[in-house]
Amino acid sequence: MAKIRALSALVIGSALAVTASGCAPQGGSDDTLTYWSMWKEGEAQQKVVAKAIADFEDETGIDVDVQWQGRDNIKKVLPTLNTNKVPDLVDASFAKLAPILAESGQALPLTEAYDAAVDGKQVSDLIPSAYFDAGTLTVDGEDAPWMLPYSLTSDAIWFNEAEHPELAENPPQTWDDFIGTLDDLKADGQTPIAIDGDVSGYNAYWFTTMMVRLAGPGSLKKIASDESGKAWDSPEALKAAELVQQLVDGGYFIDGYNASKWPAQQQKWADNSGVLMYNGTWLPNETSSYAADGFEYSSFSFPTVDGGPASQRADFVGFAVPAKAHNAENAQKFAAFFLGKQYQDALGTDAKIIPIRQDAAVSEDMSTVKDALDAADDYYQQNDGISFPGYTEKLLWPTLDKLMLGKLDAQQFIDAMKSGQADYWKQNS
Amino acid sequence: MTETARMIGAKSASGSATPTGRRAGGNAIDRGRKRLFVPFVGPAFLFYTILFVVPSLYAVWISFNEWSGGDDMTFVGFKNYVRLFSDDLFVQSFVNTLLLLFVVGIAIFVIAFGLTLVLRDMVARKVARSVIFFPHLVNAMIFGVLAGFIFNPGGLVNKLLGGLGVTEPPAWLAHENLFPLIMVMMTWITTGYFTTILMAGVDRIPPYYYEDCALAGANAWQRLRYVILPLTWDVFATCAVLWTISSVKIFEIIWVFGGSTGQGMPPTQTWTVAVYTYVTAFSGQSIPAYGAATASAVLSLAVISILVVLLRRATKRDAVEF
Repeated sequence: MAKIRALSALVIGSALAVTASGCAPQGGSDDTLTYWSMWKEGEAQQKVVAKAIADFEDETGIDVDVQWQGRDNIKKVLPTLNTNKVPDLVDASFAKLAPILAESGQALPLTEAYDAAVDGKQVSDLIPSAYFDAGTLTVDGEDAPWMLPYSLTSDAIWFNEAEHPELAENPPQTWDDFIGTLDDLKADGQTPIAIDGDVSGYNAYWFTTMMVRLAGPGSLKKIASDESGKAWDSPEALKAAELVQQLVDGGYFIDGYNASKWPAQQQKWADNSGVLMYNGTWLPNETSSYAADGFEYSSFSFPTVDGGPASQRADFVGFAVPAKAHNAENAQKFAAFFLGKQYQDALGTDAKIIPIRQDAAVSEDMSTVKDALDAADDYYQQNDGISFPGYTEKLLWPTLDKLMLGKLDAQQFIDAMKSGQADYWKQNS
Repeated sequence: MTETARMIGAKSASGSATPTGRRAGGNAIDRGRKRLFVPFVGPAFLFYTILFVVPSLYAVWISFNEWSGGDDMTFVGFKNYVRLFSDDLFVQSFVNTLLLLFVVGIAIFVIAFGLTLVLRDMVARKVARSVIFFPHLVNAMIFGVLAGFIFNPGGLVNKLLGGLGVTEPPAWLAHENLFPLIMVMMTWITTGYFTTILMAGVDRIPPYYYEDCALAGANAWQRLRYVILPLTWDVFATCAVLWTISSVKIFEIIWVFGGSTGQGMPPTQTWTVAVYTYVTAFSGQSIPAYGAATASAVLSLAVISILVVLLRRATKRDAVEF
């Protein structure tokens, strides 16, 4: 009898424990919104967002429950997507948001945000229309984009204008000019290009940009989606690989780039031990604390190749609202609010990033990139927008590393991608 | 739980052996013990079930599905497992895990036993023990980050070598050199920990055995072979199991050692199964493949279990009582 009593106590206890864990309180009143931010407290961008939140709360009476989570915020959102505890608003780069939210149908089309009026204009008119042409911001069949970008990251070939005013006056326009510049620098006893070869993403820039230059945005993604792998036989792919190999064989990269640890080489570059560095628009912010005295950041765009199109990388950074958000309406209100000129200017001048609005101010460091973006006729995303599960990190990047570090030549690289991709799709189709 | 069960088992066994016509259930103490069994074991059992057994079973279920985390699961049977074995990268990661387990494991225990010989009667042995243990106190990540400063082209090692006249030092942090470096680093970090545990076993050995050795003229090797090893065998067996379990889970040192601090991920040449699992699920660069990642995790759990069972069998000896 005692045994039965004890056992039933155990069963009831466990049932209670299970139900208790399942019925956490659920938010969802009308005047709040939960926002998981990609910025960390103290960052320049965070200060701009915090100011906007304070103004927004004053103006609308909506209480913003913000958590400054940092760049891993989307990883933390993922486990909540199947629950009732999903945040109402998140922000991140397109490359992080797209695979997690958009491609699994978990992002809400932001109709209200795009229809809202900010500074007397409709939000959809504030963002340059060319950015929408790529079509990546809208899920097929939806009538509004799922992401509201508020800034951009791009890339450029950076240098110190104080040391090399000639590059600012007369930047190399074509690939041949560029190689000429590198040869001149080398002949002058300087190190032409600094690169942290241990960061696969940075290594990959050279080839992916070359592909986009030769065959246009979307061409690499198209090759990557070929299940037989034979698309790698395309002459542009081989040519792009050969041009990368030209850089490796030419000995233009800084000594030890194949055996160093980030940020060793970018520190050397900022200390004038290397002339050029192909990197993202965050480079000035990242290196300013250890740059040589009088360092003046300037940049030029990746040169055109064989007269091909001059597109620019435009990685959006902005807001998305999960489909299950309780306060989606408030979230969209704030997302639109943040596109106000005041905050866009502050992002440009205080945080020194590139705001999405064309009329927003940018810092001196970013002016060359901003000009290039405004002049471009087409845009593309990092890795040309490839987000197939594991493709980039298990196949493309490791193989590109080998090309960049001189372990494979162009043809071997193409062969490795061809067979690797056939295997990849055999496993993943 | 096992201890209680064993005691109860022993009690009831002895109870049934006595021919007296006692009531089933034993004496008052036995009955009291049985009454307390559920209240005492129950809560632990409950928490263990909810927090460990259920999630583990759920993980096994996920591994039979394709799931990106946000959308619905699609049942695919054993496809994720088949895929793992046809993925060269997984096989390479698996080999790396085995290299850590066996090569580093053997190195650790050879050095640890060597140290026990020296440390037993060394001057200032207490200080020496603390010093040896110290690397284990520091998070492995610190060493990963430190490696960057030490082995960078302009780092400490090359500066020292330059002073010695070496003009072309090896490319320490090149992709192909990273994994051997990690293995050396793991050996260095872990040896002190196991030396300390083994030393506790060695300290238990009564001194008269050593005196006997001295009288018999045994050298250090013979002392190890005939006294220390047999008398610390159970300690060693436990250490071997501990190492097996922890080696299969090695992750953080590789994450920061091979790759870079906060920038991207380590080169594939250094991946272990744990890193492979993490990248598959959380790389942040592409659509997460939770099914494949969980399959890889379940597989490593299975491998640990099998290895531990084999190891227990291989190291099974009758305990020497002294």
